Amino acid sequence: MVRATPSLPKCDRRILRTSRRAWRPLFALWVAAIWLLAGDPALAELDNDGVQVLRSAVTALGPEGTFPIGTPTLRVSLPDEWANSRPGYRGTVWYRLSFTQPAPGQPGAPQPGDMLALWIDRVCSNAEVHLNGRLLARGGRMALPYTHHCNHPMLVTLPDALLLQGDNVIELRVAGHALASSGSRLRAGALSVLRVGPQSVLAARHARVTALQVEGPMAASAVLLLTGGFMFVLGYRYRRVSHLAYFGALCVGWALLNVRLWWRESPLGHTESEFVSVCLVGFTAWAAVQFLLRYGGLRVKLVDRALPAQTALLALSLLAAGPNRLHDVATVWYPVLAFEVGTAALWHVMRRKSTRSVWMMAPLLAGAALAGVLELGVQWAGWPAGAGFAAELLVPLVLAMVGLRLMQQHGHALQRAEQGRQALEQRVREATAEIERNFRQLAELKVEKVTEKERKRIAADLHDDLGAKLLTIVHTSDSDRISTLAREALEEMRLSVRGLTGKRVSLADAMGDWRAEIIGRLGQAGIEGQWDAPEDLPHLLSARAFVQTTRILREATSNVIKHSNAARCTITVQLADGDVQIVVTDNGDGISSEVEGRLDRGHGLASMKGRAKQLQGQCLVESSPGYGTVIRLTVPLDRATESASTETAGR
Amino acid sequence: MKTILLLEDLPEIRVWLRKLVLQVFPGATISESARVQDATALVAAVKFDLALIDLGLPDGSGVDVVTRLRDLQPDAQSVVVTIHDDDEHLFPALQAGAFGYILKEQARELITEQLQRISQGEPPLSPSIARRVMAYFSAKTRPQAQNSLLPNVNLTDRESEVLLRVAKGYTLPEIGVQLGLSRHTIADYVKQIYRKLNVSSRAEAALEAQRLGLFR
Repeated sequence: MVRATPSLPKCDRRILRTSRRAWRPLFALWVAAIWLLAGDPALAELDNDGVQVLRSAVTALGPEGTFPIGTPTLRVSLPDEWANSRPGYRGTVWYRLSFTQPAPGQPGAPQPGDMLALWIDRVCSNAEVHLNGRLLARGGRMALPYTHHCNHPMLVTLPDALLLQGDNVIELRVAGHALASSGSRLRAGALSVLRVGPQSVLAARHARVTALQVEGPMAASAVLLLTGGFMFVLGYRYRRVSHLAYFGALCVGWALLNVRLWWRESPLGHTESEFVSVCLVGFTAWAAVQFLLRYGGLRVKLVDRALPAQTALLALSLLAAGPNRLHDVATVWYPVLAFEVGTAALWHVMRRKSTRSVWMMAPLLAGAALAGVLELGVQWAGWPAGAGFAAELLVPLVLAMVGLRLMQQHGHALQRAEQGRQALEQRVREATAEIERNFRQLAELKVEKVTEKERKRIAADLHDDLGAKLLTIVHTSDSDRISTLAREALEEMRLSVRGLTGKRVSLADAMGDWRAEIIGRLGQAGIEGQWDAPEDLPHLLSARAFVQTTRILREATSNVIKHSNAARCTITVQLADGDVQIVVTDNGDGISSEVEGRLDRGHGLASMKGRAKQLQGQCLVESSPGYGTVIRLTVPLDRATESASTETAGR
Repeated sequence: MKTILLLEDLPEIRVWLRKLVLQVFPGATISESARVQDATALVAAVKFDLALIDLGLPDGSGVDVVTRLRDLQPDAQSVVVTIHDDDEHLFPALQAGAFGYILKEQARELITEQLQRISQGEPPLSPSIARRVMAYFSAKTRPQAQNSLLPNVNLTDRESEVLLRVAKGYTLPEIGVQLGLSRHTIADYVKQIYRKLNVSSRAEAALEAQRLGLFR
């Protein structure tokens, strides 16, 4: 809060105290002299709180330190707008008013402990207060450039020591500017009514008015400056939200318009600061129109160029007109600017009619329009200054609300963007996983393919190289034994290759192969073969199990043919508990235990057993001389192959 | 007097085979070759009654010679003589028109007997080859695989029955007993199966070639 302080120097007070007695008669004389000049105190009216409202004053022109004597005086009624009472005048004007000190107990008299005070709710640009010829208070610099005090009410405590019983005289020296050189009526010279009453009552009013005219707009300006700056940077960086940049410019422009609330002792002269102010109005109008259009989703090149050009034209026209016609030019521009902003606002509301945000924007724009009307009323129709102050308070409020709304929208957009980003990230993760999976599958497939190719190559090599050599041995050796060995080696090689190429074999197919081989060989050897096997065999054998079982059965058949002297051989196949059981029974000589030990190599019994063991199966040989031989081979069908077989069967 | 083509790259085996063939077909004229290229030239120049063709040769596969012979001399009999006993190698040769196959490492007596049988029209048929033939024909009868441009070559029920039994490991004499048919009749069925496999496969191959030619 800024309050005009009593500006009595310390030494003055001391003089006052020591020389009161000597001054008194002179004082009374002086009061009597001006009594005739000043207004009749009996005419002073009282308001509801018993505060005297002084509406009449005698004025005189003059820069001197005291009320000029001998110059022409003029009686005016308050409030006094210089634009009406002395158009074109710039400088200082003296006002003299009188009031009666209310006796204790009378309405308007201060309570004990309270004091009497003078309250001026508006004086422009600045004033100093004299009571009974003594300087009491000064609002700031009274020489050019004057302190800008137009928004600030003045509260001056009237010291008891200077008050006289009965009538007292207040003299005000007011410094002000002509309306012609001011951009706004609110900054042209003027004095409101004066009020004299208890300090406590007037201080409350003073505080209220200060809050509305000074502190409110100041706080709003600060907020607008910050948020506006922030939004400007945001909108400037991201062209997609360019409306934010214009809104920021609008806010900053408005805050700068109010800068004289903060900075009353501006070093700029009145002319310069008024010029800047009016130009700023043009600038804010530009920003407002662009904001409304961009926010409504419209971007017009013509407008983009026309508005800066208009602002420049405004500045040029002000320069061309000169300081003394500044107000005339400005009042031509204001309706034009107001019309533009109003049209843009109307367009915006119509455009956004169907959206939800219009319920937010329409009242706010209506508020801004009201502020505009108030301001124009003050400038053109001479509405009271209060309307102008209301407009000055209303506009930043609207701007702050719009700013909040924009921030909320921006926040939403950010949130959506974040969600979008997260969704995208999720998708990218999924896609990456998918790609990795595919890649792995592809790699596996490739490995399989390469392995398969390699196996085929090895198989072909074995056949072409080893096979050809063994074959040559088979057919060129003179020894039957070597031929047989080579032939057996060749068959072994084939089986190995088959195990190598590693495809699973259906048990039924394996049975077909085994039967054809065993029965065929037995038949060639003149032995009657018999084969008992179940028809339905949906299982699969691994390549290894097939190859090893083939070897075991081949060995067993060879034994029957070579060693047993049997006439008959029966092969029985059974499935039990996940095993295949193959029993080879012959009615030959059988193997005596000592023969078994001695001829083991020839019979290959040990290798048969070993192979069965490798498959987690077993091979049992039951034999006694004269009773034939029984070979029981058990090969487990492992679960994996079983489940695979049901899978295949299900297809 | 028979004219015989002998295609075999291993010299010792070629000599050995030549002796064996002369034993089975005394007085036969034998043209020997160690390469696919030479054999193809021979096929174009000389008329053969029988051809013994190895599959794995230094300059290609004997299957090409089988195809060539089938094209130029439909009456000539191709027999695959090979070290490969698996259907993956044998089946394409049979499709190309080979009439039977002999595994090289077998004993002389066995090969002699098989050769005699083949020349008398009794080609061998292993269970795994039988399974491949069955799979081939069952895939062909699937609706989506049918093509009006192909000659409708299908197995009769009896032929299928014989194939199924071979696949289960029964020998041809056993099947004859089971079906109450003579050994010759069973051999005829097998012969028919060979023929149909060849006719069908060749028609498919021709169609495939035509398709590739059209779309190239």
